[in-house]
Amino acid sequence: MRALLVVPAYDEEESLPATLAELAREAPGLDVLVVDDGSADGTAAAARAAGVPVLVLPVNLGVGGALQTGFRYALERGYDVAVQFDADGQHDPRDLPALLAPLAAGACDLVIGSRFVERAGGYRAPWTRRAGMLLFSGLTSLAVGRRLSDTTSGLRAYGRRVMRLCLDYFPQDFPDAPLLIWLARQGVRWTEVPAHMRARRGGTSFYTFTKSLYYPYKTLLASLIAVLRTGAGERGPAA
Amino acid sequence: MTRAQTIAVLVAVLLVLAVLELVRRRKLSEEFSLLWVVASLGAVLLGVWTGLLTGITRALGALYETSVIFFFGLLFVLLLLVYYAVKLTALTQEVRRLAQEAALARLRLEEMERAAGAAPPPPPAPPGGPAAPAAGDHP
Repeated sequence: MRALLVVPAYDEEESLPATLAELAREAPGLDVLVVDDGSADGTAAAARAAGVPVLVLPVNLGVGGALQTGFRYALERGYDVAVQFDADGQHDPRDLPALLAPLAAGACDLVIGSRFVERAGGYRAPWTRRAGMLLFSGLTSLAVGRRLSDTTSGLRAYGRRVMRLCLDYFPQDFPDAPLLIWLARQGVRWTEVPAHMRARRGGTSFYTFTKSLYYPYKTLLASLIAVLRTGAGERGPAA
Repeated sequence: MTRAQTIAVLVAVLLVLAVLELVRRRKLSEEFSLLWVVASLGAVLLGVWTGLLTGITRALGALYETSVIFFFGLLFVLLLLVYYAVKLTALTQEVRRLAQEAALARLRLEEMERAAGAAPPPPPAPPGGPAAPAAGDHP
């Protein structure tokens, strides 16, 4: 099984070198690809300096758009799995073997690294964000008919089938709950494994204050649409 | 014709002419001009033929001709805005796809330049047809 780590990076020149160095140390067997999402700083140069291939997007597309670019690359070059991995050092490379195992066993098409399965790593978000996470994971669990504890996790492994589905439809800004609902309802086999989150190394979060007002609206609407879409899609021929 | 009617018809005719001129200068595509031309011609028609407006008002059970005009005017503008939003979404998707393809192509080009042993930028394409590029590692 060939796996590719896709690292979307937007203005991450501060934290990227350490993240890439850690990956080379802790996960030496894995190929890494950085997707520079229209950064204004030296993100692409930092990746090149680490000897990692970089896809440079001429404009900023958002996490989803950057990730989708990584999927195109992975599919083109015959990778079996693409792993979404944050540039800012929040994710722990030591979680990768557990994340990849279900895919390697052929048991799943999508594996989500969850902060809440088994209470791994002492991650504690502000209460507003915790309330939001609880709400969205509750709604998502309802929509997919099974408990999904972490809809906002940015540590996920996608098999080829899922990558192909993601080329058709992929939320460009926040690939969270709606994406998971849509994929689950397409019959994608998914599972969650425990993951450890750490404090970010530098840069700023994609989830800023102004977006925090827009996020609930967008996620609720898109989740609803995801449910409706698959309802309608099932009547037509499968894609 | 009353003075107000004359003015309305004149404005509508000018609008049609302006739209057609924009199309002629390739500043506006035929597709986008259609809605404007149809709406302006409708305005001309209503301005010239007052009986039509009174008839529509009566048929709709509206009290005033003016409210009928405003209703259809607003409806037209709303539909136009929705149409633009749909077009904008389609354009966004196209731009995104192009940005992604540009990033992929650029990386391939960088790889090929490196494989060709190269810092200097390659000379312009030779006249005898380009050399076959390495086919990459498609499975």
